[in-house]
Amino acid sequence: MSTLTRNMSFGQRFLANEWSALAVAIVIGLVALAALSPAFLTEFNLYVMLRSFCVVLIVAFAQMLTLAVGQMNLSVGALGGLVAIAVGGMMEKWGFPVPVAILSGLAIGAAGGLINGLLTVRTGINGFIITLATASAFTGINLGITESIPFYNLPAGFVAFGTGRFYALPYLLLPPVLIAIALAFFLARTVPGRQLLAVGGNPQAAELSGIPRDRVIVMAHTLSGLLAAAAAILAVAQLGSAQPTIGVDWLLMSFAAPIIGGAALTGGHISVAATALAVVLIVIIQNGMVLAKVDPYWVQFLLGALILAAVGLNRLRAVRAGGA
Amino acid sequence: MTLSVPSDSRARPSFLAEQSNLIGLAAIILLFWVLFTSLAPGFVSTFNLFALSRSLAVDVVIGFSTMVVLATGGMNLAIGSIGVCAVMASGYLMQTLGLPIPVAMALALLLGAFLGWLNGFVIVRSGVNSFIITLASASLFLGGMLILSKAQTFNALPPEIAAFGRMRWGFLSPLLFVALGLGAALIVLFRFTALGREILAAGANARAAELSGVPVGRAIIIAHTLSGALAASAGLMLVFRLGAAMPSIGQDWLLPSFLAPVLGGTLLAGGYVSVVGTILGAFLVTTIRSGLLVMQIGNFWLQLFLGLILLAAVMLDRYRSVYAERRSLGRRDSGRRNSGRRA
Repeated sequence: MSTLTRNMSFGQRFLANEWSALAVAIVIGLVALAALSPAFLTEFNLYVMLRSFCVVLIVAFAQMLTLAVGQMNLSVGALGGLVAIAVGGMMEKWGFPVPVAILSGLAIGAAGGLINGLLTVRTGINGFIITLATASAFTGINLGITESIPFYNLPAGFVAFGTGRFYALPYLLLPPVLIAIALAFFLARTVPGRQLLAVGGNPQAAELSGIPRDRVIVMAHTLSGLLAAAAAILAVAQLGSAQPTIGVDWLLMSFAAPIIGGAALTGGHISVAATALAVVLIVIIQNGMVLAKVDPYWVQFLLGALILAAVGLNRLRAVRAGGA
Repeated sequence: MTLSVPSDSRARPSFLAEQSNLIGLAAIILLFWVLFTSLAPGFVSTFNLFALSRSLAVDVVIGFSTMVVLATGGMNLAIGSIGVCAVMASGYLMQTLGLPIPVAMALALLLGAFLGWLNGFVIVRSGVNSFIITLASASLFLGGMLILSKAQTFNALPPEIAAFGRMRWGFLSPLLFVALGLGAALIVLFRFTALGREILAAGANARAAELSGVPVGRAIIIAHTLSGALAASAGLMLVFRLGAAMPSIGQDWLLPSFLAPVLGGTLLAGGYVSVVGTILGAFLVTTIRSGLLVMQIGNFWLQLFLGLILLAAVMLDRYRSVYAERRSLGRRDSGRRNSGRRA
């Protein structure tokens, strides 16, 4: 494969790349929207778009890490909701300083992920069922504590961070960008990161080469929980209040972005860049719908169509690569 | 009720383990009934029993809808979306077009079967995991329904609809008997027909089934079609119960749809289903939901209880089968096969 890549022109190499179709779709979308809608390239609209990009990206990363080891995390949204109200409650009811509340929130997320991972590995039960069950449990704790009443009185500094911007760049964008860089480095350059991909790619081979498979799976779930918590805290900052409903609509999105980015459910095959591009595409489509004043229901419809199209395209590429 | 294809290629509960699973489940249900009856006398009032039988009917059919797809080793995350599409179609046909009730219901069921067929067709043709396909199609169907219906409730349905929903046979809703009738049909399908055996064979070991001449693709498509029709039936039962066709139906089906079959011992890996187990699983879920409501603990903690019960049930089942394996295999350390730890 590598010798094949070397003999190809830049154009061919670009087309053979997994995310080339995504990049093309994004460019077409950007050009079309800029040409059709004068409101698209305004500073405020770009700010709004970048802002909605933040939470979705981290949610997608949270799912991507479990997909990397061939697992699933259906509790991403439920855990996010629990962390959101926990952080809100700690700040409003208990008056915790913001950093303490954020760190505690992250710890809760990681603990939730750890529980998922340990249960999956220790019982040998499918991660789908385990996280379906824990998702229900997390949501139950969330609703039981809050009785569906949000926390509104959050520290001014925290809320200001959620709305602040530098021209078109929201401050909110900083954490996702740092997380993306850290994740890319983690997966490409560190031993645990490589182990994660190895376990996903071929569990038997990984185990035979001495990689502690169970520990790696638990790590993937823990990191997934941690990222879900980070996404939840950003969502609280973005909304300016800790809503118990944060996370209820994350499930589809969390799978859509990595899968559109070419991730395989069998594991071992993920890409930080492609997942990020997929989120960019989703956000552009959503924004385009808003600008075109289309029924918001079309977003739901198109997201489903987009997943199917991406899966079909990947399938086609795999078939052609296999035939060549 | 053991319905499985004989094949030694995979571990599956033995007849005894299967019976002990059902008996265990029945014992847990009995325990909850004793508990709720003693804590809240209103639990066994005819009013509550009637309400319980109505929601049980829906939960059972939702469970069946997932069960038939689990038989093939696949999943159907689009059950709620297919259900609500059928619901809204029936509302449109009855209220806007004024079609007679049986015609509207039949067409709505047909729509559900068609959407299920679409899932199965795409899964078999593309060879992509059913999880992804049905996740995408769930979004597609729900979005399409919302675009077409503009999320408007149909609440001027013929009065016979609500009347049937309120009808009582003794203290039970006739809907429950419809659900049990569907269960009987499924038992016949999986136990006595070639088609049912083919679906189970495809789920147990697709390659082996293919090599022995089972049309695996066709079996998977039929299972999904059936799942779609069952999801539509569950949706229509809710139309009778509510007396209206609402676009919010089906959005909370994911958990109960897996709870009932998994509690009842149906394997996620495919090749084995338990119809009676699914009914008992749904019964447990409905009992807990109803009991917590009567005790006024309310919906808020319900989710936590359901999640914990699902966890407890699957873990218990796991340890029981590990224990059974250890006993039958003597000293061989097969129980730790899945924990895979190495010294």
